[in-house]
Amino acid sequence: MHTWDERQPIYQQLADLLAAQLLDGLPSDGQAMPSVRALASQYLLNPLTVNRALQTLGDEGLLENRRGMGLFVMPGARERLKATERQRFLQEEWPRLRERLRRLGIGAEQLQWETL
Amino acid sequence: MSTPDNLVEAKNLSVKYGSKHAVDDVSFTIPKGRVVGLLGHNGAGKSTLMKAMVGLAMPTLGAGGRLTVLGLQPRSQREQMLQGACYIPDVAILPRWARVQDVITLMSGLHPQFSAERARALLKRTSVRLTDKVKTLSKGMVVQAHLALIAAIDARLMILDEPTLGLDVISRKAFYELLVDEWCDGERSVLISTHQVEEIESLLSDVLMLNEGKLVLNISLEDMDRRFVALSHDAAVADRMQAAHPLLRYRSAPSLGGQRGDSTTVFDGTPPDELLKLGQRVRPSLVDLFVALTRKPELDRQHF
Repeated sequence: MHTWDERQPIYQQLADLLAAQLLDGLPSDGQAMPSVRALASQYLLNPLTVNRALQTLGDEGLLENRRGMGLFVMPGARERLKATERQRFLQEEWPRLRERLRRLGIGAEQLQWETL
Repeated sequence: MSTPDNLVEAKNLSVKYGSKHAVDDVSFTIPKGRVVGLLGHNGAGKSTLMKAMVGLAMPTLGAGGRLTVLGLQPRSQREQMLQGACYIPDVAILPRWARVQDVITLMSGLHPQFSAERARALLKRTSVRLTDKVKTLSKGMVVQAHLALIAAIDARLMILDEPTLGLDVISRKAFYELLVDEWCDGERSVLISTHQVEEIESLLSDVLMLNEGKLVLNISLEDMDRRFVALSHDAAVADRMQAAHPLLRYRSAPSLGGQRGDSTTVFDGTPPDELLKLGQRVRPSLVDLFVALTRKPELDRQHF
C-alpha cells in the first residue's frame, strides 16, 4: 500500500505526487485527469482527500474544470510546473547538494553525466 | 426511499449486558457520503454498537436519547430499515456447500434491493468465479465475494465489522479498492470497525473511537489535523514538552533524512509558542491518538 509520511497533510502529498506525474506528462496538457473515484481507489484515499488535492492543483492553475466533463490539465501546465521545479531545485536543493558534494570531496569531473 | 441527511443518529445510547455497559452513553451522527472508522480494542464495544444499529442488540436510551438508522428504529422498523442498510458481521459466513451463483440466487430471493446483475459485475472485478464453490475459496476471496454481494444491495449505509481481520495485505488492499471504487459515491456512507488503524487512516473521513464502551473521540479527519498538534523534536527538550501536559510522547523511528527530531509529542490543542518553536510540526497520526486515548500498553509505539 502507498505510504504517506507524517510531515505533511495527505492531500498535500497527493497533490505533490500528481504534480510530479504531470511533470512527466501523465496526463499531458489538455488531457482529462483521472476521476476522483479512480484516484481514491488507486491510492486508497478518502474521496474528500482526493478532492482537496485536486482543488490545490486547480488553485495553482494546473487543472481546469470543464463543466460537465470533469478536470483537465491546463494548456501550458507542464511548462509552468517545470519552471517552478527548476527554480526550486536551484534555490533549495542545489545548495544542499553542493554542500554535500563539497564535504565528500566530489568534484565536477567525477560526476557522470551520461547514464550508463 | 427518501433518506434524511444524517444516515445514523445516536443520542445517549447505551447497550447493557446484565449490569455491564458494553456501550456507555454514546452520541454521534453519521451524515451521508462519509467513510467512518470505528476504532477500539477488543471488548471496547464496537460489535455491540454495530449490532444495536442493525437491530440485533437492545439499546438502552437515556432521557431524550434516541437511535435512528435512515430515520427508522432499528428494532421496531427493522425490515424497512434493512432495505437501506447492509451489514457484514464479524462472524459472517457464506454457505460452504454452495456455489457463488447459488448464493446470488439466494440473495435475490431474500433481499428486495439486491441486484444479481450488479453482484455479477462486481464479482468480475475479483478473482472469484460464479461457478466456484464457497468451500474452495481462500479467506481473502470469501471476504471479496461477501463485499461484492453486499455492495450489490442498493442501500445507503454499509456496516462492516472487522472485515479484513485475518487477511493478508494483498487481500486487504483488494478489499478496500473494491469498497472505495464501488461504494463510496459521495452519497452512501460506510462504517468500518478495525484494529488496523494505520492502514485505514487515509480512507476515513471521520473517526469514532471507543474505549471501554465510552466514545473517547468523535471527529472528522480534517478537524483532527486542526485540533491535535504533533511536534517532532530533539530528545533534549523532552522534559519541557512533558511539562506542558501532552497527550502522548514517544521516540520516533530513525528517519533517513535525519532532519526530524528523534522524539514526537502530541498535544490536544495548540501548545504555547515557545514549545512550538522547539519542534517541527508534523501530521498527528491516528495511531498516536489511538494509543493516547485508549491506554493499552501493548501497542507498537515505544513509550517512556
